[in-house]
Amino acid sequence: MHLGYTISGAGHAALIGFLLFGGVLSTEPLPFETTSNVSIISGDEFAALIAESSPDAVALTPDQSETPQAEEAPDVAALSPVEETPPPPPQEAPTPETPPDVSALTPPVAEVEPDAPAEQTPPAPVEPVTTALPEAEEAQEQQADRVAPEPVAPPAPDAQVADTVQEAVTESDEGTEQAEEAPATAPEAAATEIVTEAETPASAPTQSMRPQTRPSRPAPVETAEEAPEAPTNDAIADAVAQAVANQQSTSNVPSGPPLTRGEKDAMRVAVSSCWNVGSLSTDALGTTVVVAVEMAENATPVTSSIRMLSFEGGSEAGARQAFEAARRAIIRCGARGYNLPREKYGQWREIEMTFDPSGMRLR
Amino acid sequence: MNSLKIAVLVGAAFALGACTNAGRFDNDGGFGADGAGAGFDVGSAQDPNSPAYFNQTIGDRVLFLVDQSSLTPQAQTVLAGQAAWLANNPEFTAVIEGHADEQGTREYNLALGARRANAVKEYLVTQGVAATRLQTLTFGKERPLEICSDESCYAKNRRAVTVIAAGGGTS
Amino acid sequence: MRAILIFLAMVFSLAIGSVALAQDGPLRLRITDGVIEPMPFAIPAFQAESAAAGQLASDISRVVAADLTGTGLFREISPDAFISTVSNFASPVQYADWKAINAQALITGAVNADGQGNINVKFRVYDVFSGAELGTGLQFAGTADGWRRMAHKVADEVYSRITGEGKYFDSRVVFVSETGPKNDRRKRLAIMDYDGANVQYLTDSSAIVLAPRFSPDGNRVLYTSYETGFPRIYVLDVNNVGRRAIDLPDGTMSFAPRFAPDGQSAVFSLTTGGNTDLYTVNLGSGDLTRLTSAPSIETAPSFSPDGSRIVFESDRSGNQQLYVMPASGGEATRISFGAGRYGTPVWSPRGDLVAFTKQNRGRFHIGVMRLDGSEERLLTASFLDEGPTWSPNGRVIMFTRETQGAQGAPSLYSVDISGRNLKPIRTEGGASDPSWSPLQR
Repeated sequence: MHLGYTISGAGHAALIGFLLFGGVLSTEPLPFETTSNVSIISGDEFAALIAESSPDAVALTPDQSETPQAEEAPDVAALSPVEETPPPPPQEAPTPETPPDVSALTPPVAEVEPDAPAEQTPPAPVEPVTTALPEAEEAQEQQADRVAPEPVAPPAPDAQVADTVQEAVTESDEGTEQAEEAPATAPEAAATEIVTEAETPASAPTQSMRPQTRPSRPAPVETAEEAPEAPTNDAIADAVAQAVANQQSTSNVPSGPPLTRGEKDAMRVAVSSCWNVGSLSTDALGTTVVVAVEMAENATPVTSSIRMLSFEGGSEAGARQAFEAARRAIIRCGARGYNLPREKYGQWREIEMTFDPSGMRLR
Repeated sequence: MNSLKIAVLVGAAFALGACTNAGRFDNDGGFGADGAGAGFDVGSAQDPNSPAYFNQTIGDRVLFLVDQSSLTPQAQTVLAGQAAWLANNPEFTAVIEGHADEQGTREYNLALGARRANAVKEYLVTQGVAATRLQTLTFGKERPLEICSDESCYAKNRRAVTVIAAGGGTS
Repeated sequence: MRAILIFLAMVFSLAIGSVALAQDGPLRLRITDGVIEPMPFAIPAFQAESAAAGQLASDISRVVAADLTGTGLFREISPDAFISTVSNFASPVQYADWKAINAQALITGAVNADGQGNINVKFRVYDVFSGAELGTGLQFAGTADGWRRMAHKVADEVYSRITGEGKYFDSRVVFVSETGPKNDRRKRLAIMDYDGANVQYLTDSSAIVLAPRFSPDGNRVLYTSYETGFPRIYVLDVNNVGRRAIDLPDGTMSFAPRFAPDGQSAVFSLTTGGNTDLYTVNLGSGDLTRLTSAPSIETAPSFSPDGSRIVFESDRSGNQQLYVMPASGGEATRISFGAGRYGTPVWSPRGDLVAFTKQNRGRFHIGVMRLDGSEERLLTASFLDEGPTWSPNGRVIMFTRETQGAQGAPSLYSVDISGRNLKPIRTEGGASDPSWSPLQR
């Protein structure tokens, strides 16, 4: 529990956190992005271009640095972050119309310089299509929108006859089945893995590719499907903890015995259920990150304390995205407090979590 | 567009037209100016020196097995007839079009069609037709004759068609 | 290699898994099973900062939302669910209100129009649960008629910041537009935004055109045309639609062209005497180099991103398979060994994967594999899928899907390289042979 006091203040941690993740805290909002020129060809210009055979007429004028947009510097300065929580030290939430006195600011303005086309003559070879081919069949949107460690049957799957080999979802334990897309409002269907159109669910037994991890099941902690030993362990642990707590009532930070396996599994599962890697780059999906978090006594994570300790397997950029997904998981599923034994606070006041997405089978 | 290009396009359009059924059975006029008439209408399918005779009686096309470009015995018989007709009608040249069914990728089918067309060309050459009178062309799967997605259609689409033309042909 | 690493990682995680570690120090947990689902985001309609910007502000935010949801990685939260609105772009964000509706990302923006046809779009992205802005606000200036591109640029920024993936929305696709019955298809080249908007035609339909391919700078297109009656490769300037035939020996047919990464030369198939081999041509000098000399079919070549190697298909083994050889020719290494036939390989812009068409047991698939042939993964299955092309960031594959039967028609589809998010690209009439441009500048 000595560790609990070693962190040099939440402010420090917050600062580190911001530096690492927010990208917010570059002390000066310097010209963040100089977007390159946007060259836009409108329909009319295109028409003119077709008629105009000289390539000169379409020069995309790569660089014309001084444009009226440069005058919009104040606006750009206004684009510094506006925080609901106490704003990061160096930045007062500025209002847009107040020109900042930061002279170094240059506007990240993309220039659009489509050259005025010479003439608006109609394009010779362009004719509208009138004969339309028969409409192609609808896409077979048969993939589950969601992949989770446990298959979730979609609500009322309409069997879709398909030119594909897919079948509607069926219930099974280790199913590699396909789930129909569920309406956004319904309980989300989930397959246990990504099944492409090309894979044949019917022949699932022949598939042995799926890496099987131990039966950890991210599901709400309260569900009955929890690891079988968990309830009993919990009960025992509770009893033990109760006894310990009774004896140690004088200690203001109860430490208690180490967490039981069941208690740890419950925590792991809880975080897992919010750990969404669905919007990660392939690079980030190849990156394992180790994240540290400090917990409040009510078992909620101290947001500002969440930090990346290390990463491996991917680039720094990938690690950043992987960390952000991990951070979201910890915060989202811990918003109401994790199901951790309060009497063992000293045991879980500091948590280090290794998020390893390599088993998520997305390439 | 210059006039040469237009001429070429017209030639191409002619070649395309000639590979459809409608075009094929109608082309009695334009070609056989000097067919040797004897007991039948000059230029008709009964006139052994007419293009119609070539297209209908001899047969202007041979078929291939799946993914094959080798000539079947029936194909060789047809091609022997084509070679004889070309020998009797030296003012004609031919463009041999190779085709494939839709069961293949676009580029591969182009190459396969070229192989089929070339197989026909080489056979005609062995039968005495001057190579300079023969050109090959591939359409891959771009111009199917039959449009269903069954073997009955595919079999007819895996073909090489000898399209004859008086004089210079299409190029 | 990577497969092995992943496997080792799995084994490692099995071994370590949830084994309790000594409690001296922080509690240590290992998380290996997560969920894969689209990230919910909220995008209130962008603010119109001037009267002239009203419609544009709404349109731009719609396109941004469509770009993001179209990836399959994001899900838009209906504005009906919003608890608070964003009344001012500069106002502080009420994170709690967005957390309450589980919006994990919040995108705000504002549009200004000067009434002279110039517009200015600015935006911010917030990581709601972390209570922080993701990156910094940016603005783009341009002309009103280019508003879609500006929307794509905003969406690209958002997408890239959240996923870490490269950008791809501000890109175009050149393809073959098809009309007419199956035995008399009319084909012409067309170009459109990646999402199907702004279709423009580049050729008329007087001659069959096939398989256009973008140059690395997106300004030129190589394609095959039957203009002369025979298949022949051409290069077309996208900006002025001027085209020229590549000068090749008489009596040959040429097709399947593709640019080298430097844009200075092209690799293609040349057929003489019924035999199809690979050549490169210097587009400036016209110099030809023969790369293969075999009686078999060699076609559908594609350069590696560094230009050092070429992947292609050949039936030298008896049926279509994929091979890799040096860009100057020489010994080729076969990389495909699965059941069936493999064709149309395309090297990914990241360099690590090859997308291909696979034909097996009467069905067609689009798939990906590593350059050594490992980790083959089929992403689609249908009566006829072919001709994959990569998004500029290497994350998405677009391809042609043709339906079966006499009424069969082609259309464009895209799929995430995970195999998820298979969906059609809406086009007017039929469409085939897509080629994805690089990211526009």
